[in-house]
Parts: sequence; C-alpha cells; structure tokens
Amino acid sequence: MSNSNRYVYGIVNTADTGDIEFETDAVAGADRVYTVSHRRLGAVVSNIDTTDPEETDEDAQIHDDVLREIMDHDGGKTIVPMQFGMAFENDRTLKNVLRGARPAFRRAMSDIEGRIELGLKLVTQEDGSIDRDEVEDAVSDELDPIAAQAVQNDRFSDRLVLNRSYLVDEDERESFDEAVARLEDRYGDDLLVQYTGPYAPYSFVNVEIGAQSQ
Amino acid sequence: MFVLDDLLFRPLIGIVDTLHSLALQELYDVEALEDERKENRLLYELGERSEAEYLDRKETIEAELELAREVHEQFASGRVEVKR
Repeated sequence: MSNSNRYVYGIVNTADTGDIEFETDAVAGADRVYTVSHRRLGAVVSNIDTTDPEETDEDAQIHDDVLREIMDHDGGKTIVPMQFGMAFENDRTLKNVLRGARPAFRRAMSDIEGRIELGLKLVTQEDGSIDRDEVEDAVSDELDPIAAQAVQNDRFSDRLVLNRSYLVDEDERESFDEAVARLEDRYGDDLLVQYTGPYAPYSFVNVEIGAQSQ
Repeated sequence: MFVLDDLLFRPLIGIVDTLHSLALQELYDVEALEDERKENRLLYELGERSEAEYLDRKETIEAELELAREVHEQFASGRVEVKR
C-alpha cells in the first residue's frame, strides 16, 4: 500500500510561518506532518494511502488536535483550516489547488488573523424544558457584542437549545470566557453547557478545495 | 380490457411505489442516523452517558448507518426492486 496521497489539515502563509514540520499522531496512523508549498502558500499535510478517508471519531479528533498544534506551534500560527477529509492524489495536484485558490486563501487568512473559534452548545436536561427563545436572546445579548462573528450550527438533537460557533479576537478571549461563565451561572441548573475551543476557525472559512470546486 | 387495467391499476401501482420509496427512505434515514451519532457523542462528552453506553450505542448506529448507505446506493442504482 502506497502512502503517496496527501491529507490536508490547513493552509498557512509560509512567509510568516516558514516550513512547518513535526512528529505527532496524524490522521490514518501517520506520525508526521509537514508543509507542501507553492510560492508563499503552504498546505500542512500528512501522508495517507487514500483520497477518500473515512471520518472516524478518532481521526476527526486527531484532525482537530493537529490544527491546534499548528496554531500553538512556535509562538502561534494562523492557519486556514480544512474540514476533515481533504486528501489529494499527490504533491502536484495539491500545488495546483494552492495555485488556483490562492486569492481565496489569502482572503480567508486575513479574515481569521489573530482570531480563534469557540463553540457553545446548550442542552436541556433529560425530560427538562425551558423557554428556548429567552435563552437564545440572553446568549446573544451576552456574547454577540464580544464576538467578531457568530454562526448558528446544526441542531442535530431535539435537546439542543443552542449550537453556535463564535469567532473571537484572541485579545477578547478572557471577556468571552467571563460572559460564558455568567451564562453558566444563570442556566446551569436547567441546561448542560458545553463550551469548547479554541479551534482553528473552521466555521468562518468558506474555501472549498478539491477536484470539483475551488 | 388491457386499457381498462391501465386506467384502473396503473395509478394505484404508482402510489404504492411512491409509498414504498418513502417508507424505505424513512426506515434507512441516513441524516437521522448521523444526527443520532452526533447526539450520542455529545451526551457522552457531557457526562450523561457512560463510556460503555456510548460505545455500545455507537456500534449500533454505525452498523445501521452502513446498512442505510448501502440501501440508498442500491436504491439509487435501481438494484432495489419494489415487490408487489
């Protein structure tokens, strides 16, 4: 089985980051991530033996973990994150994509520079009930003024009162944490609160790459 | 006689086909199963489900998902026949 395919975690500006390379637990059992560069754009990749990787919980977690490592690497790097599953035939096809989507990557990079993504899910207790509109309004009042952007995510469970992602300036992180803590104090008896992150800002990057679209 | 058969039964057969397709889609609803998979993970992360419960449920959902995807693939390729 050959490992000549490239699994992509995200795109960096190599003029700022240099070539990134480190050993880590990577997707599909790989143990090293490194940069495939075209001019100043670098795709952070690991080797893989398929262009259609299966999204297991474990590999989805590893994808996130690698992105976080890159964000923290050598004093912190801006990376345009890819969703799970972006794999390419070889370096050449990947470099073609980097060339074709260059303006989109540049725009995305400038949008997320110095910002992180944080996630908030509020879930009703089993058999619990709550005024959902009131909760949503309270959350918006607390968090929207601090966040640079917010998006509503999929409500995949009837018990989800709210599932949002926030793009937050790193400088505002503490204020945002405090606002979430106030919400937890207010609703902690009625709701389960899952506050997650920081993540690379997946939800705020709209670059599709692949054979069909760029 | 054949003309009468066509007029009387063909619409009925069409309705049965449609109902059967809808029932198959509901029975093998990939999206609902994906949602259930995410909910299982969320409730585990929130501490409401034990690891054993989570893994047990996960295994069941993944088996159902695999079957559902297979049925949809066959359905799309016309390999699932509607039996009357």
